[in-house]
This record gives sequence, structure tokens and C-alpha cells, in this order.
Amino acid sequence: MKRLGHAVLGLLLLMLAGVLAWAVSLPVAPGQDVPAHIAGSLADSGVSHPVTAVLLNFRGYDTLLELVVLLVALAGVRCLAPLPPPSGGGAVGGVLRELAALLLPVLVLVALYLLWAGATRPGGAFQGGALLGAAGILALLAGRDRFLAVLEQRLWLLAGLGVGVFLAVAAGTLVWGGTLLGLPPEQAGILILVIESFALLSIAVTLVALFLGTGELEDRDP
Amino acid sequence: MSASSLLPLLVLWPLAGGLLGLLLPRGAGPLLLGVSTGNLALAVALVDALAGAGKVAHSVGGWSTPLGIALRADGLSAVLILVAGAVAPLLALYASAAYAGRELRYFAGLFLLFLGALNGLFIAGDLFNLYVTLELLGLSAVALAALGGGAAALAASLRYLLATITGSLAYLLGVALLYRATGTLDLLQLSGQGPALPGGAVAFALMVAGLLLKAAVFPLHFWLPPAHANASPPVSAALSALAVKAPLYLLLRLWLSTYDGAWPLVAELLAAIGAAGVLWCSLQAVLQRRAKLLVAYSTVAQLGYLLLALALVPAAGAAAYGAFTLLLVSHVLAKAGLFLAVGNLARRAGHDRLDGFERVVQHLPLSASAIALAGVSLMGMPPSGGFNGKWLLLQAAIATGDWWLVAVILVGGLLAAVYIFKLIEHTFGGSDRPDATALPRRMEWAALTLAASAVGVGFLGQPLLRLLGGVP
Repeated sequence: MKRLGHAVLGLLLLMLAGVLAWAVSLPVAPGQDVPAHIAGSLADSGVSHPVTAVLLNFRGYDTLLELVVLLVALAGVRCLAPLPPPSGGGAVGGVLRELAALLLPVLVLVALYLLWAGATRPGGAFQGGALLGAAGILALLAGRDRFLAVLEQRLWLLAGLGVGVFLAVAAGTLVWGGTLLGLPPEQAGILILVIESFALLSIAVTLVALFLGTGELEDRDP
Repeated sequence: MSASSLLPLLVLWPLAGGLLGLLLPRGAGPLLLGVSTGNLALAVALVDALAGAGKVAHSVGGWSTPLGIALRADGLSAVLILVAGAVAPLLALYASAAYAGRELRYFAGLFLLFLGALNGLFIAGDLFNLYVTLELLGLSAVALAALGGGAAALAASLRYLLATITGSLAYLLGVALLYRATGTLDLLQLSGQGPALPGGAVAFALMVAGLLLKAAVFPLHFWLPPAHANASPPVSAALSALAVKAPLYLLLRLWLSTYDGAWPLVAELLAAIGAAGVLWCSLQAVLQRRAKLLVAYSTVAQLGYLLLALALVPAAGAAAYGAFTLLLVSHVLAKAGLFLAVGNLARRAGHDRLDGFERVVQHLPLSASAIALAGVSLMGMPPSGGFNGKWLLLQAAIATGDWWLVAVILVGGLLAAVYIFKLIEHTFGGSDRPDATALPRRMEWAALTLAASAVGVGFLGQPLLRLLGGVP
């Protein structure tokens, strides 16, 4: 019975894939020329890379809400149980320790470079934050978990800073310019850098905290 | 302050409140009450602004579409923001008594973020922005459902998570197809274009399937009863009253605006699953032995009425559109009140099994009255809001000659009477335990105010319909 169910499900999914492939293969008439719109407004966006201009300026409102999604994901995990206690990292081998010592500074440097590069080429807060988060996880695995105490105490400050700064910019532009996230072209570059810097930190902290998961979940009532 | 600034404020204000709720170690109760009351003031200001202008819009970042995102509010957006805004402070009042410490803090943070997502969804004028708000709403709802519950709540909310994400992704696939065909995500620019686009029908099917799953419409309702019945009362109320309405609102926008009410088959299908949902889930509610499950099945049944009303809009116009809105508003109020009241009873009894439910009318008179009043609206008896909505729905069904729908609406009302009286039977009567401790009074008042509003909104039918305006 279960195998029959799986077979039917597989068949349905195959049909869906076929329909999707057909829909994507249909020729489309030229609609709105979005690349031309982006190119026309890029000079006023404060950055020269079109992806960053879309994410942080033209559609910055979406990105603000996406950062809130990350925050909600973390709250959804954290509301179940507090952070697990530091493991102490007693069983870490010498190779991992040496490798971490070598890699950690490089990872942090590359993360910051990605943040800076986002203005002109592929990069930005999400990529840099993912790398910085990976650095944090590597540090944990190598037994360097002294920063866990700070994380436990200041988790919401660190994880919420990205959203907080973005909201502050949004409120500021609304109050002074009358337009939500209407970044003045002269200041757009620096505002985007500020937003992205704090977003980078919050994204990294969120990823590390999500990696830690919930230590005490197994102890809950059945 | 200009009317157009109200739209972003309706998102920024609750989001900032939610962030503070997570950040601040103390004061979650006053924060929750203050922010949700402020949100209600903003909602009232929006209604006031719309009464003059009819429509309000805001271009985010000052960029015009298709480059930027537009926020827009019309009568329907305003009605929904107003009713959500009115429910929120009462849920906050209840929660500030029902929770404490860590739980209250997380509830405050998550609920205010949930409210911000809800407002954002009702004013979004852009398909992708709608996806982001839908995602934010779904995730915060899942987190709330897991909050403070035991293993059953965790399992139910995991299932809720999988269902809601599958629904979002199906919707997103549809959006991608529309974007490929047009190069725009703006609802106004897409208006009426859907049916003729290459891949337009596939996109529509994907988006509708995803939204019906997220709205827990029969037969895709499998995840709702356990998730809503195992959550704590203010969460069940928020999920049943507000969270499942958002995907239906979006379905209405897509079908009536982007697809111009296209394809008679769609109307027939929506009416068929709406009718099946009303009958099947009302019957399920009658058969339940746990009070919260009964109320949760009642939610799925009432969603069926909303689908019926929606299906009739292209043929019957204003009557069906008004029925959709009035039924939605009265269900929001009645169901929030009912979940809080049943929660009070369950808290006192220590469980929510109907056969061992305490007869509490002397000890929790306000909660017992709340159940009765919410029941009046859910059954569709005059003078409640539920009656007005069903009356308009009946008119629409008669006008289009769908006599079988008239039968479904009446039978559904009868079944609702059966499950409501089953609930009332276990509530009224002499108490077995005269010594039990009392509940904080505001938990009772919150439930009663909501349930009484569901009846009282019956007297506000005309102003609400005037605010709603014509079919967009």
C-alpha cells in the first residue's frame, strides 16, 4: 500500500515536472525590459553592481523583510529551548586546531572583502555573512567556544542589529524624505554599506546560533 | 503626516515592536499592549484616509514599477487591516495574563512580527513582495504554534511548517512563470493579463494550489486541526482567526485582478471544494470529542463559506464580494473569541475533553457567554455579523441560480448549530467543583469582547460595505 502511494506520488511529480518544462519552453513576447530599467537608474542607486542595486535599493524593502524572516527563524528555534552549554572542546585533535588557527583570520578577511566588493561586483552581506557564520562554526568545532558566553547573553542584540539598523534607515527616510527607503543618491552608497555591515554581523550570528540548535529539546515531556 | 506614509508605518511599527519584544528582557506585556494598540490607531487612520480618497498608494524608495515595489490599499485591505488591528490588542491583553517570563517575551516578539507581516501582506502590490510577507507570516505562525507546547504541539507545528513552505514554493513557481512572461511583478501592471500569457494557466494552477494548501482549505486541511488545537489559546486564536485568511485574500486578488475572474471552470471548482469543505468539516466538528479540535474543524468549515463567496464573485458581483468580506470579518472575531473562551474552560478543567468538561457557567460566566455569542455568529443567526454575511451569500447564490449552494449553506448552518450546542451543553449547568481557583478576569473579558463584537458587527454591515467599495 505504501509502495503504491509512493508510485502514485512519483508519477504525479513526474507529470508536474513535465508541465513545468512545457510552460518554461513556451516562447514569450517581449514584456517590460527590466535590465534597461535597472541600467537607467543604476547611477542613482549608490552602487555599481546591478544585483546589489536591486537587493539593497530598488527592492530593499523585500530584503528588509527577508532579514526579519531570518530573525523569526531564529526565534522559532530559540523559543523551544535555550542555547546548549559550551562543550569545552576537550576532544579536538591537533590538526583541526592548527587548521582553524590558519583559516579563521582568512575567513574573516574574505567575509569582509565580500561585503566591500558587493558595491561593484558579486558579493554582499548575505555571502559575507554566510562565510563569517562558517568561520564561527569552524571556531566552535575547533573548541574555541569562549564567544558562546557573549552569544548567550547578547544573542538578540547581535542577531537583531541587522534588522534594527535597516528599520532605523527605513524610518529615517520615511520621516525626513516622506518615502520608505528613499535613499538620497549622494548618501545611498554609504547607507547601503552601513545596512550591509550590520546585516553581515546579524546573518553570521543567526547562522551560528541556528547551527547550535537546541540542546535540551530531548528532555521535554513526551 | 500624509495618508501615503500610513502604509509603510503599518509595517514598520509592528516590526520594530516585535524586534524590541525579542530584545528587551522585561516589559513584554506593556510593550505588546502598547504596540498593538498603536497599530490599531494606525489602522483607524488608514480607514479614515480611505473614506476620503478611496485608494492610497506608496512607491517604496521612490522607484516606479516595474523597478520598485508599490504598496497599495483599497477598501478590502483597509477592512482586513482594521479587523486584524482590532483583534490584536485583545489577544495581547489575554496573552499578558496567560503567559509570563520567557514565554511572554517570545509571544510578544513573534506575535508583533506576525502582525507586521499580516499588514504588509494586505498592502503589498507586488507579487514577489507578497511572497516575502507570506513567508514571514507562515514562519512566525509556525513558531507561535510551537511556543510553549509539548511534543504534540511540536509535531503538529513541524507538519504545519512543511505544508506552509510547500505552499509558498508552489506560489513562488507561479510568480516566476508570470515574471518570465511579462517582466513585471506589479499587480496593477499585470491586471487582467494572466489568462492570455504563455504558461499563464500553469502559473495560476500552481499559485492557487499553493494558497489553498496554506489556507488549509478542504481537502488540503490535514495540517490545521492538530496545529491549531495543540497551540495555546491566544496562538490558536491568532492562527485560526488571522493566519489562514491571508492566503485566501491573496487568492481573491490574483483571481479577480490578475486573472480577471477567468475560466468558468475555476469558479465551479472553487464552489465545489468550498461546499464539500462546509459539509465534511462541519460534520467532523460535530464528531469531535475534544473542544479545541471541534473549534479547529469549525474553522475549516467556515473557510469553505469564504471559498463559496469567492467563487460567486465573477457571476454575482457586489453581493458575493460583500458576503466574502462580512463572513471573513465576523469569523475573525467569533473564532478568536471562541478559542479564547474554550481556552479558559480548558485551563480551568486541566484538559479539553468534552465528556469531562466542567460545567462552569457560575464560575466563568463571561467565558460561557462568549461561547454562546460566538456561536450565534458562527451559526449565522440574526443579528450577528455571520448572519449578514450568510444572507448576502444566499442572495448571491439565488441570483446566479445555484440552488444547490443554497441547500449547502442551510445544511452547513444546521450542522454548525449542532456542534455549537454540543459545546454549550458541556459549559452550562451546575458546577462539580465549586472551590476551583478563578482565572484572571481580563482573560474572560478579552474572549467576551471578541465574541460580542462578532455579533455587534452585524449592526455595522452598511458602513463596512461602504468602506469596502465595489468589486476591484
